[in-house]
Amino acid sequence: MATPDQKSPNVLLQNLCCRILGRSEADVAQQFQYAVRVIGSNFAPTVERDEFLVAEKIKKELIRQRREADAALFSELHRKLHSQGILKNKWSILYLLLSLSEDPRKQPSKVSSYAALFAQALPRDAHSTPYYYARPQSLPLSYQDRSAPSAPSSGSMGSSGISSVSLCGLSGPAPTPQPLLPGQSHQAPGIGDCLRQQLGSRLAWTLTANQPSLQTTTSRGIPNTARNVTRSRREGDTGGTMEVTEAALVRDILYVFQGIDGKNIKMSNTENCYKVEGKANLSKSLRDTAVRLAELGWLHNKIRKYTDQRSLDRSFGLVGQSFCAALHQELKEYYRLLSVLHSQLQLEDDQGVNLGLESSLTLRRLLVWTYDPKIRLKTLAALVDHCQGRKGGELASAVHAYTKTGDPYMRSLVQHILSLVSHPILSFLYRWIYDGELEDTYHEFFVASDPTVKTDRLWHDKYTLRKSMIPSFITMDQSRKVLLIGKSINFLHQVCHDQTPTAKMIAVTRSAESPQDAADLFTDLENAFQGKIDAAYFETSKYLLDVLNKKYSLLDHMQAMRRYLLLGQGDFIRHLMDLLKPELVRPATTLYQHNLTGILETAVRATNAQFDSPEILRRLDVRLLEVSPGDTGWDVFSLDYHVDGPIATVFTRECMSHYLRVFNFLWRAKRMEYILTDIRKGHMCNAKLLRSVPEFSGVLHQCHILASEMVHFIHQMQYYITFEVLECSWDELWNKVQRAQDLDHIIAAHEVFLDTIISRCLLDSSSRALLNQLRAVFDQIIELQNAQDAIYRTALEELQRRLQFEEKKKQHEIEGQWGVTAAEEEEEEKRVQEFKESIPKMCSQLRILTHFYQGIVQQFLVLLTTSSDESLQFLSFRLDFNEHYKAREPRLHVSLGTRGRRSSHT
Amino acid sequence: LAGHGVEARAATNMNAVRDTMDVLLEISRILNTGLDRETLSICVRLCEQGINLEALSSVIKELRKVTEALKAAENMTADFLEKF
Repeated sequence: MATPDQKSPNVLLQNLCCRILGRSEADVAQQFQYAVRVIGSNFAPTVERDEFLVAEKIKKELIRQRREADAALFSELHRKLHSQGILKNKWSILYLLLSLSEDPRKQPSKVSSYAALFAQALPRDAHSTPYYYARPQSLPLSYQDRSAPSAPSSGSMGSSGISSVSLCGLSGPAPTPQPLLPGQSHQAPGIGDCLRQQLGSRLAWTLTANQPSLQTTTSRGIPNTARNVTRSRREGDTGGTMEVTEAALVRDILYVFQGIDGKNIKMSNTENCYKVEGKANLSKSLRDTAVRLAELGWLHNKIRKYTDQRSLDRSFGLVGQSFCAALHQELKEYYRLLSVLHSQLQLEDDQGVNLGLESSLTLRRLLVWTYDPKIRLKTLAALVDHCQGRKGGELASAVHAYTKTGDPYMRSLVQHILSLVSHPILSFLYRWIYDGELEDTYHEFFVASDPTVKTDRLWHDKYTLRKSMIPSFITMDQSRKVLLIGKSINFLHQVCHDQTPTAKMIAVTRSAESPQDAADLFTDLENAFQGKIDAAYFETSKYLLDVLNKKYSLLDHMQAMRRYLLLGQGDFIRHLMDLLKPELVRPATTLYQHNLTGILETAVRATNAQFDSPEILRRLDVRLLEVSPGDTGWDVFSLDYHVDGPIATVFTRECMSHYLRVFNFLWRAKRMEYILTDIRKGHMCNAKLLRSVPEFSGVLHQCHILASEMVHFIHQMQYYITFEVLECSWDELWNKVQRAQDLDHIIAAHEVFLDTIISRCLLDSSSRALLNQLRAVFDQIIELQNAQDAIYRTALEELQRRLQFEEKKKQHEIEGQWGVTAAEEEEEEKRVQEFKESIPKMCSQLRILTHFYQGIVQQFLVLLTTSSDESLQFLSFRLDFNEHYKAREPRLHVSLGTRGRRSSHT
Repeated sequence: LAGHGVEARAATNMNAVRDTMDVLLEISRILNTGLDRETLSICVRLCEQGINLEALSSVIKELRKVTEALKAAENMTADFLEKF
């Protein structure tokens, strides 16, 4: 060849690519490589052909195309070419030109645009749902992707279901090399299969089925064009006016997809479905297909209606809004698909109706393409149905219920929506447990705050659980803990006035909140979330208890209550009683509080109580109860302990009233003990003296016996009260309080303690009878004391007089007179006689007293044995240890039942 | 004249080449191949070097298809972005 530049074929090829594609060298790399591959595989030229043969072929072709003039022109040109000797292989260029020639009558093929349309991935915006491609053969999808990292991991693909259809489509020239290899027929169903397997989507299937016929392959250039032409001619017959064409139906369907009534397919409100108009002249199969497709429109309407309604609802709340937003995004993806279909339709319109079969939208194609979207819309519509009328945590629970499905596709969709929906709830939760703040205008969170409650009842009443709003993925235990944490923080801020920032208090790092967080939460729900809540709970509660104990000495106050109100500090109580005795025998109306307070302080200073901390002693005080007529001081006196601030949360007003009742009871019992010791003292002091009045011995003996009985009784009662009731319960309380993890535990333990004491001290309503009996016993003791006092007075008086008499007698004898005159002696005799007569009266009085007392005690015992409390039953054993009362009381003879209880006979 | 001979021969060669190219361009126009002068000249050179004609022909057709596809896609994308 005489041309000056002998460039290498590669360079030429590259230039060719640049020219045809109209781009610079760098951009054509891909295509260039492809070209090289193709041509390089077959560089050896084919069979040498004759130049004249080729020229003849061209002429024939031109004549066939009815271009005789052009044929003549060509002959001329060929002759000229032939005469020039420049080219060596004239035939080759002629052949090439022939193969590249195109019939001017043939329509420009729209095939390429069509394939390209679906070969391109749609522009990837922030898509809604990650499309989890859970198919077994997750092979790389195209030539380019083969080098890319394989199998899309969850969340990384980030495209919606609709556009992912195109992702598995073909891009550009990728699949074409195979069919171009020489020797392969252009039909190549095997290739279609292989590609089908690779891509695995129905769309690719339809595409590859079309591909082979779309390509104009090598040796079939002319016949192919011929075939295409004939086919298009055949297609031209459709479009009769009577029958509704498939194209019209397709147009209608595209409207129906958006929820708008088409010309032939309309929404029938009575049956709530889309129906094809009966009069339309349609084949049954088309009608059925159309109706099936219309379901998509129905689903779309349902979802749209819900979101539209909800967007108008002002009180829907954050959770509901995020739900609607998620639905809206899904619908947006759906709209994208619709717009793609629409533009396809548009393209067809622009080119005229008579197109090849391959490039039009048919109902069947729509069916296949909308299969996946239909599943999505179905899931969404089911969700919408389920979530009607719910909001807040309830809505989240409803969505959560739908994640329990085996279908991984549906599960991923619903989980995505769930993570969006639960994000507001989680943000509420985090704010609550880390800051103690609750900003819940629509009442969606499961912690409710009552604004009318003041700070003194903050712990008990202000915050409650809204049970309906607890989402189903948060357990009851967790929600209680959450409530407690926030409550503690608020308590610290408002009641304890402790403004320590939570950052210092809580060592847990606060994770960034994002929807991704919410999604993670559900996959790893057990550990991360529970861990967070537990950590926050431990830290907050520990801190709260520390503050209460150190700053407010809660436990110290509890012990102080025990010592003073529950008569734990024996020496102090004793001394107090000693000092108060002369005051309290006076009528109640004459008592003055300041006097009593002064006595209290004296008692404190004189005993071990003085070593208590001044904080505690400050709170100790005297309280005078309401005065009823006839009360003595003993009936109205009470100690009191002032509580305020955080301590009042544990020692509420109710608790304090319980304490006072118990104090009253214990104080009375103590007083009885005191009285009896006085009686005993009296006995011992006067016994010697009264030995010289022998008449008295009977009376005194009776007195002693009765007193002993009473002492025994009171002794047992005191033992019971002190050991069985107070000490045991206190021990339990103390253990619980030491081990308590949060304030609720302490409050609960304390309440249990008080309840036990109250019921065991016979102060609750079920033991009223017993209590009355006991009071009666106490009254008898007081009676005895009075009686005894009277007896002693008389006796001592008598003794005094006798002594006086003896004195006088001695005096007279010393003076030398008669010791005693007859008249004096007589007088004396008379007096002694009178005295002796009064003794039986005293005896009988005592006997009555004894009898009365014993009756009361027996009644008490009977009641005890029929009580349900075990310790009271044991008390009855101890009281009647030597069966002294049993001998007298026939009712006590009844044997005990199998459970150690006597049935109630009263 | 000997010195001019080479140049003259070169000149005549150039003329001949140009004439040949014109003829080929005309034929290509008649046959409606859609090739322009540049492309045609590259093709001629490749053919002279004995390239596989079927392969070359398919390559050219494919490249053309790609061009059209890219153009169509650009239009489509523009449309989409307009709508949204």
